[in-house]
Amino acid sequence: MRAVASPATGDAGFAVPAARGTWRPWLLVAPLLAFLAAFFLVPLGQVLVMSVTDPEPGFGHFVAIATDGFFLRVLAQTFATALLVAVLTLLLGFPLAYAMAEAGPRMAALMMVLVTMSFWTSFLVRTYAWMVILGKSGPIAWLSATLLGGAPPELLFTRFSSTLAMVHILIPYMVLSLYAALRRIEPAVLRSAASLGAPPVSVFRHVILPLAAPGVVNGLTLVFVLCLGFYVTPVLIGSPREQMIAGVIGHQVEEFLAFGEASALSVVLLASTMIVLGVYHRRFGLDRLWG
Amino acid sequence: MERTTASATRLTRRAAFSLGGGLALSIPAFRRLRAAETLFVNTWGGPWERAAAKHLFEPFTRETGADIRPVSPVSFAKLAAQVRSGAYEFDVTTLGLAELVRAHRANLLESLDSLKDRVNWRGGLYLNGVASHAFATVLAWNQQKYGDAPRTWKDFWDLARFPGSRCLQRYAARVLPIALAGDGVPTDKLYPLDIERAFRALDRIKPSLRVWWTQGQQSAQLLRDGEVDMIGIWHGRVIELMDDNKPVTMTWEGGQIDRAYWVVARGTPRRDLARRFVEAAVQPERLAGFCKEALYGPLNPNSFAYVSEADAVRMPTSPQNYPKVFEQDIENFGGDVTQVTSRFERWVGA
Amino acid sequence: MIALGWLVAMFVAAPLLVVIPISFSDAVSLEFPPPSWGLRYYQAYFADPRWTQPTINSLIIATAVAALTMVLVTPAAFALVRHRFGGKGAVNLLLMLPMVVPHIVIAIGYYAFLSDIGLLQSFPGVILAHTALSVPVAFLVLTASLKGFDRTLERAALSLGAAPWQAFLHVTVPVLWPGFAAAALFAFVQSFDETVVAIFVSGATTETLPRRMFDSIRMQADPVIAVVSTLLFGVVALLALAAMLRRRAGG
Repeated sequence: MRAVASPATGDAGFAVPAARGTWRPWLLVAPLLAFLAAFFLVPLGQVLVMSVTDPEPGFGHFVAIATDGFFLRVLAQTFATALLVAVLTLLLGFPLAYAMAEAGPRMAALMMVLVTMSFWTSFLVRTYAWMVILGKSGPIAWLSATLLGGAPPELLFTRFSSTLAMVHILIPYMVLSLYAALRRIEPAVLRSAASLGAPPVSVFRHVILPLAAPGVVNGLTLVFVLCLGFYVTPVLIGSPREQMIAGVIGHQVEEFLAFGEASALSVVLLASTMIVLGVYHRRFGLDRLWG
Repeated sequence: MERTTASATRLTRRAAFSLGGGLALSIPAFRRLRAAETLFVNTWGGPWERAAAKHLFEPFTRETGADIRPVSPVSFAKLAAQVRSGAYEFDVTTLGLAELVRAHRANLLESLDSLKDRVNWRGGLYLNGVASHAFATVLAWNQQKYGDAPRTWKDFWDLARFPGSRCLQRYAARVLPIALAGDGVPTDKLYPLDIERAFRALDRIKPSLRVWWTQGQQSAQLLRDGEVDMIGIWHGRVIELMDDNKPVTMTWEGGQIDRAYWVVARGTPRRDLARRFVEAAVQPERLAGFCKEALYGPLNPNSFAYVSEADAVRMPTSPQNYPKVFEQDIENFGGDVTQVTSRFERWVGA
Repeated sequence: MIALGWLVAMFVAAPLLVVIPISFSDAVSLEFPPPSWGLRYYQAYFADPRWTQPTINSLIIATAVAALTMVLVTPAAFALVRHRFGGKGAVNLLLMLPMVVPHIVIAIGYYAFLSDIGLLQSFPGVILAHTALSVPVAFLVLTASLKGFDRTLERAALSLGAAPWQAFLHVTVPVLWPGFAAAALFAFVQSFDETVVAIFVSGATTETLPRRMFDSIRMQADPVIAVVSTLLFGVVALLALAAMLRRRAGG
């Protein structure tokens, strides 16, 4: 559903010949640009302004973030978690995407349905599902009590629970990215490699992996960036001692109305996201990320 | 917020909006359908809300014709936020003592002086709050895990004798006295609080504090589903679970009494209705009904005329229970409540 | 590898399936498997205005968002697909921005911004914020379908004497309507699902369904959430099925 990539033709418009000047396209784009300027850029700008003006002008919040052990640990935890989640979705997502690309059309369609169903199900619903599954009266506790006996393990409100749920929530992005790349591999290429005597392992290493690489980069970037700013899941089922930056931002506003501090943390989160995406944009072009 | 930038820009932006927004015009029409006056009351949900609906909201609606819409969850910050932003999610809420002091200092509350003549018992009107009911944070535990063994907050801190997961309310002013009690301070000598000692005591059990509760309903769910083994929780929530035959139990010993005050958010457009509600909510008979059902101790002494002996046993302020509990003493807190809360929040997240 | 793929597919699908039985539980707790069955929580959902009102609010907001998004995005998509002009790359990037800014960041911005212009917790406020967030996805879907459009159809209409607006109405729109519908649907879903901004800017009378669910999970995690989840899940499944049947029918 998200595979929207198609070759850009880029021919000049005919209904509006180029001779009529270049103001026509701007006229068509203007309402949208004006809207986004007023209702997206202004609020975003307000975050930047608040980060250095609330409650008093200065860069005090940024100094605090850079020197305070609490904020530094939150940042480190956020990056470490995002990286871990990205790698885990790759390790888990690759076999699935590969199976989708290689299995028969029926099987592939079924797997696609499962992945898109999950993709379209709200983050909240999936988080709630994990709350039920990992809870003390949930199926895992029930299984472990029936099979192993003894007290059920404590799974909820830990780093494990929020990481697992985030992997589950973000894995469709990875699978769809990988699948878009793997699908383009011609079976003929694989056959010829095999017929030239390449063992399966080396076909995988020298043929499949290089061809899949763009999908891997796409998937890792997407998942990493989405995970950096994740709010709902860590707040609901994560450990209170291992908060992620989005949760801390929300808490600063909800509990203390500390808009300046929350804004400064937001700027840090925004800058981190933009740096990752900027690097991606320079190498590959941002529009490919959603392809 | 950029409250400092002149209100002139604000005005023009708002004016531009009402002129320009065709969208803005179409939707209030939809809202107008639900005419009649509506008062938004912040509630704790669950049994609290059921009791309030029956004994406080419905009689008020019958009497005045005004609808009452319960709004949850309860959040102190939201009270502050709405006074600053001017967008009111609720008009009336209840605050514990520490919050009442913070809210009063931050000028978040509408004056209730006009109720002086009718709320005329001792301590009834305090810092623009009207005293409603007393409730206790008590020690409760999973009986399957510990039987009847834990007795005091010291046992809550004794991880060797009672290994297992712990849970407390994410509320500094209530947690710190409990921490001192857990560290061995007699409950009549808690105040003024030795804040440093309290944090040191909390440090000791931190690894076992799996999760902090913020909503009454949530605390009951955590205990009921066995997510936590021992918890500091409001007595009403435990008694409800016990009535429901869940394997949990509690002790009044060392229970911490806090008082709930009705307050009106400053600047709400429904101020007059809100004041009428607050006055009606502490009428002796209605308050007694609410307290009997939700198991609280009424703070209007006239309510006791409607409370039987059997009901009183389940209230923290009854003659049987009162000697075992201690009261919040916010005037001798031992530090700045706001600063301590801020420190506590960082401690939780560290 | 394929067997491993199936295992992962199970991991992706199974958690969603746990929610369905919980919604038919008759117990107060999240016990699984439920000790007894019933429709108690379905009744609770449909009878409680604190659940139905947010559902209606979300439908109103998402519909308005889809309409407003399409009005803004359609001309822009035509301009960007069919014209070359200076600054086009920058415009493209700007349109993608709401998709890449973390929602918590813009939620804080909207909170301050909407309260300044007096629209905090109002329907217009939530709709404006959600529309900005829906622009990128609707734009991507629409441009993709525009790029695939065969322009010779329009040329034929024009050469037969149709005015440009007639060609647009009678040729372009009928061919492209699935693209328009898909873009509007994406905008609708984006708004209907949006949680973080709604938590901060919707209010007592404008509360959205995701916000209600978030608060409810935070408060007591009762099986009513499973009911809502199951219902939402059913809608998604129906849509997926409809899409599959359409594809099959269309060959």
